[in-house]
Amino acid sequence: MNDNGTLLSVEDISTHFFTEEGVVKAVQDVSFAIMKGQTFALVGESGCGKSVTALSIMRLVPEPQGKIVSGEIVFEGKKLLSLSEKGMRQIRGNEIAMIFQEPMTSLNPVYTVGNQIVEAIKLHQKKSTSQAWSDAVEMLRRVGISDPQQRVREYPHQMSGGMRQRIMIAMAVSCEPVLLIADEPTTALDVTIQAQILDLLDRLQEQNGMSILLITHDLGVVAERADDVAVMYASRIVEVAESRQLFAEPLHPYTQGLLESLPRLGITAGRLQTISGTVPEPLHFPAGCKFHPRCPVGREDRRCQTVEPKLREVRPGRCVACWYARDRRQRAEDRRQSPESAAVDEG
Amino acid sequence: MSKQTQAKSNWGTSYGELVWREFAKSRLSIVCLSFIVFLFAVAILAPFLANDKPFVIRIDGQLHFPIFRNLGASDYCIFLAAVVGCSQLLLIKRNHRHVDPSIRGAALWRQICISSSIILIGVILLFVFVPRRLDATDYKAMVACRQATDAIFAPIPYGYARTNLKLREQPPSWEHLLGTDDVGSDTLCRLIHGSRISLSVGFVAVGISTVIGILVGAILGYFGGKVDFIGMRIVEIMMAIPAFFLIITIVAFFARSLLNIMIIIGITSWTGNARFIRAEFFKLRKQDFVQAAVSLGLPLRSILFRHMLPNGIAPVLVNATFGIAGAIFIEAALSFLGFGVAPPTPSWGQMLSLGVSTTGRFLWWLTLFPGLAIFFTVLAYNLVGEALRDAIDPKLRTR
Repeated sequence: MNDNGTLLSVEDISTHFFTEEGVVKAVQDVSFAIMKGQTFALVGESGCGKSVTALSIMRLVPEPQGKIVSGEIVFEGKKLLSLSEKGMRQIRGNEIAMIFQEPMTSLNPVYTVGNQIVEAIKLHQKKSTSQAWSDAVEMLRRVGISDPQQRVREYPHQMSGGMRQRIMIAMAVSCEPVLLIADEPTTALDVTIQAQILDLLDRLQEQNGMSILLITHDLGVVAERADDVAVMYASRIVEVAESRQLFAEPLHPYTQGLLESLPRLGITAGRLQTISGTVPEPLHFPAGCKFHPRCPVGREDRRCQTVEPKLREVRPGRCVACWYARDRRQRAEDRRQSPESAAVDEG
Repeated sequence: MSKQTQAKSNWGTSYGELVWREFAKSRLSIVCLSFIVFLFAVAILAPFLANDKPFVIRIDGQLHFPIFRNLGASDYCIFLAAVVGCSQLLLIKRNHRHVDPSIRGAALWRQICISSSIILIGVILLFVFVPRRLDATDYKAMVACRQATDAIFAPIPYGYARTNLKLREQPPSWEHLLGTDDVGSDTLCRLIHGSRISLSVGFVAVGISTVIGILVGAILGYFGGKVDFIGMRIVEIMMAIPAFFLIITIVAFFARSLLNIMIIIGITSWTGNARFIRAEFFKLRKQDFVQAAVSLGLPLRSILFRHMLPNGIAPVLVNATFGIAGAIFIEAALSFLGFGVAPPTPSWGQMLSLGVSTTGRFLWWLTLFPGLAIFFTVLAYNLVGEALRDAIDPKLRTR
């Protein structure tokens, strides 16, 4: 990765929540980098720490329980974690904007949508009220809302979920941020609207040249839209790869399990594959590799049960956090060299 | 009407309109609201309803206007506030119908700023320039002696400070509809002027307590953690002090002025509001739209008071209506115990205490009528508060 094109780099971020029952390590040693103009996807099941990672970047982790305990976030050369609250406020909305998961609740019910967009525009760009209003109407038109002159004067409760999500996007994009964090932007919407919203994001990305951090649990969305992907499991990143490579050849057993459990067109199988077991509770993470109780290899391996593997680069552009990350070719080699371990590998 | 609603519906229905619609569904709440409006009208127009000075009188062939000459600075202040307030309400209503929502917020702000500065400047000017007059002329005697003619008196031609020792402790009659008190003042007249005290105590005290409560509650609720822990302990200490006895103690030390009573009631009763706002802000802080507002980089002031407060103010508004009732009640109780406003300023509680005269007679009209006035006022505020609560959150409805 060359440093010139890097917009945001997250370096060994750990975010913990100090609750009465104990310390919840929601994000542990997470690192990744987003290039300019790129769509970077963060995938994982619910509760794996994707959203907390996004909130950490925005420095919106709910205090005082939540705290970023270590690491650094560098955005365009600025260290976000050492900025003052005032400095951070200038970055929020202006340079990094965020879209939330629930369009139904992420607009203020007491103001018209126009009022809310105008407030954002006026805050970051020195514009008169009437100018800001015509900008807001223009933004609504750009996100594909019909009759924007009328809609801009309406309240959120008069709109459908898809429309509200468009409004949210309009609000986030109105100040032309360099990075847009989309936290499960389509989860609450039905499939046809999902596609429209994602197309809209693509189009805006093309027009503004912004980068997108796409947080999702939908592998289909990732395959279609993302340039690079990071897979998260139990508060750690387990695999980083270019999107096409990840789908062609997953290296981490968790990613492999995820992809195998997807229904595929054209193949009639009886039952879908599943990953056995359940996600560990954040208060009682297993020792060693957190995936080992569910991993065909890790269940029997001493090293997996005691020592946690770090994310390491196994090939240029491919990082995996697994002691036994092997692609097909390497697995075949292993089999030739030592038949015992190969048996474990295949099980 | 339907035409107007149609025209408006193009701009969407605001939260306020929804609440009003729900509120207006119940006839009882409308009746109570009208009663409160009626009380306000009586309080504002008190000098024209009950006054021993005539509107117009001809003395030695010359016309005089004693009522207007005798209006004090505070009377003019009340008129000014009433006129400005009513025009504000009309303007807001008009804005809702005719002004584009895009500039409605700015228009409202401008309006509030202009009107409050008018009132402020007006009050200062009035207190500086309106002289205090003590006109002790007995115009009725002049009319009776035919020194003056063409007199037009107020509907109740008695002054609240005018004594008539010949007519002490008279039961209701055609002359004095609700009887007279221990110094011969007309009860109805004092009742009318007393409404001013009750209503102003209610509003100013609740205004003070609401502002303090909102500020404290907003800070505690938004920041949480240590700030909240320390703040809540202070609130609890405040709550543990029996407010009424504190008020009596303070009033005993300081002058028995209306302003003192209002301020003291205000600064002892904010704890409930603070707790309401704190609880609401706790809930709101985790809401997506607040997070979204923060993620847009809005300043704290805007997040707290523009985005969170309007969504969390409902319980405080409801509490305020109950608070007004409570403040009126406390003032009546203080006056009843002799710690209230000093005579001859009339107050309902003080009138109530005259029900048992120094001679040991029970003067039922002095107990019944001020008592009914307090009862109905407090009841009306409580019912309006309850209707407002139901209108704001239909889920809370008990029926």
